[in-house]
Amino acid sequence: MDFIIERGLAQLRSIPFYPVIQSRSKYELIDITLTVIGVAFEEVSKRAPDLKQEISSWNDGRRCALGVFPKGPFITLEKRGDRIHYLGKREIDPDMTFLFKNLDSALLVLTAQMSAHQALAESRILLDGQVSYGMELNRALAIVETYLFPQFILNKIFKRPPTLNMYQLATKGIIYAAMGPALLKNGLKCTLKKQ
Amino acid sequence: MLPNYYQFYCPVKILSGQLAVSNIPFEMKLLGCRRAMIVTDKGVVKAGLIDIVKSAFADSDAKIGHIFDEVPQDSSDKTANRIAQMYKTERCDCFIAVGGGSALDSAKGANIVLSADSGDILDFQGADKITSDLQPLIAIPTTAGTGSEVTKVAVIYNETTETKMSFVSDKLYPNLAVIDPRMTLTMPPMITAATGMDALTHAVEAYTCLQKNPIDDIYAKTAIDLIRRYLIRATEDGKDMEARMGMANAALFAGIAFSNSMVGMVHALAHALGGVCHVPHGMANAILLPWCLEYNIPKVPEYIAELSGLLGGARAYLEPLEQAEETISLIRNLLKKLNKISGMPEKLRDAKVLEDQLPETAEAAINDGALVYNPREVSYEDALNVYRKAF
Repeated sequence: MDFIIERGLAQLRSIPFYPVIQSRSKYELIDITLTVIGVAFEEVSKRAPDLKQEISSWNDGRRCALGVFPKGPFITLEKRGDRIHYLGKREIDPDMTFLFKNLDSALLVLTAQMSAHQALAESRILLDGQVSYGMELNRALAIVETYLFPQFILNKIFKRPPTLNMYQLATKGIIYAAMGPALLKNGLKCTLKKQ
Repeated sequence: MLPNYYQFYCPVKILSGQLAVSNIPFEMKLLGCRRAMIVTDKGVVKAGLIDIVKSAFADSDAKIGHIFDEVPQDSSDKTANRIAQMYKTERCDCFIAVGGGSALDSAKGANIVLSADSGDILDFQGADKITSDLQPLIAIPTTAGTGSEVTKVAVIYNETTETKMSFVSDKLYPNLAVIDPRMTLTMPPMITAATGMDALTHAVEAYTCLQKNPIDDIYAKTAIDLIRRYLIRATEDGKDMEARMGMANAALFAGIAFSNSMVGMVHALAHALGGVCHVPHGMANAILLPWCLEYNIPKVPEYIAELSGLLGGARAYLEPLEQAEETISLIRNLLKKLNKISGMPEKLRDAKVLEDQLPETAEAAINDGALVYNPREVSYEDALNVYRKAF
């Protein structure tokens, strides 16, 4: 089996412009995942009391960006009222940025192979801005991941995996159901903006 | 065990030993410098330590362009701006920082201002934001604890917003660290004990936190061994040259270790205690170290256990958990001895912390960047519990 996979990969590598195709694929995958996270921030902050409490101390209008050095992709989030709003796929005047040093590091975190705190500890993410804002965003991101990822992934990536109570499990179900339409709405919004 | 990923960098040339300061003019020549600006504080001048530096320049072509001796207890942005201004006016071409962490950080801050050239120091806050080369910096520590002479970090107090700003960049490493036993002889026992425990905390956290790696482990272990041999001796008899030299080197090794491995929960909680209750950093670290290790035991018992031999514990094989507990009890014994000799407090209440300040302190602690490197998750409730135990 390994031999077949190895051979397949070797053939793939022999395709002309393979490095460019590989890098473009990674870019697109990260772009999609960041969009999902942006939308998830909106949906979780609408419904989860723990995220509402976590962001209650954030100043209104605080903007946080997540992105990859040097050419993106990026997303920007903004705190308004008791919610997080996803502003779109650009760096829009952020107060602080989580900047992945490269596409590979971003992939590790965004595909849930590594937690954001581990990536920060391994210097895979640069924190551009006030450190306390970064710590607050890191905690908020952990809550969003709690509602987004299944338990076996949380067990793997969290220092202290969360145990959800019945209310939180129900909220997780509602968020799962809401994510599809929310992503569709976001996709339509982006298409309309482009036109 | 090797970590998933690690980085190591330490470009600092180290001169350590008898009369090391006398080599500074020669080293300046190697750096292409002729006119140095000394950055220090009044206490260092009063202790006669600047005279030792001045005498090194007596028969040399290199000159001291200016002596700035107004570094406050916490280096601030305004002080950094003033130092940078004088550096330009006096046409100096390198810094010599003489003192504890504050003097060294002030020189680093002034260096950032100069590199920004009329730019705002605030733009360089955070990690790896400085890209231009800085002016040469020679660091002469007069305490044995901060390790700032070999670290890439500067903490500068923002007088406008009243917050502490962190600057982390490879460009902030000094070019030269000069460890001369004469420079730490005047430290009083309490400061010797507190700064020594600060160095121990650096080494222990470098060895037990998430970014531990085989290179830093060697530095951390050597530092712990030296601290076990010399901290009590240096605190008991400040004129013990061998003990002073041992502690100065321990702080240096611990500094190299934590500059790469970073620190964890002890520092996060100590920074918050400094900010809210104004407890000196070394003292806060000393009080919190055993309690935080106790908190981290469930996650990294084997790493904590490995330190017991270095701290003078039984070498016979124990279960990791028992041996880790022995490490903590050895640190508590060390604290007790230091308390007897120097009066350094063992509890937060003895360090003038009020119980009703603890919730605010815990809130500040969970926003400290050092928590990222701690092996065990720390929530607000966890931080508050540890503070209460240490109270």
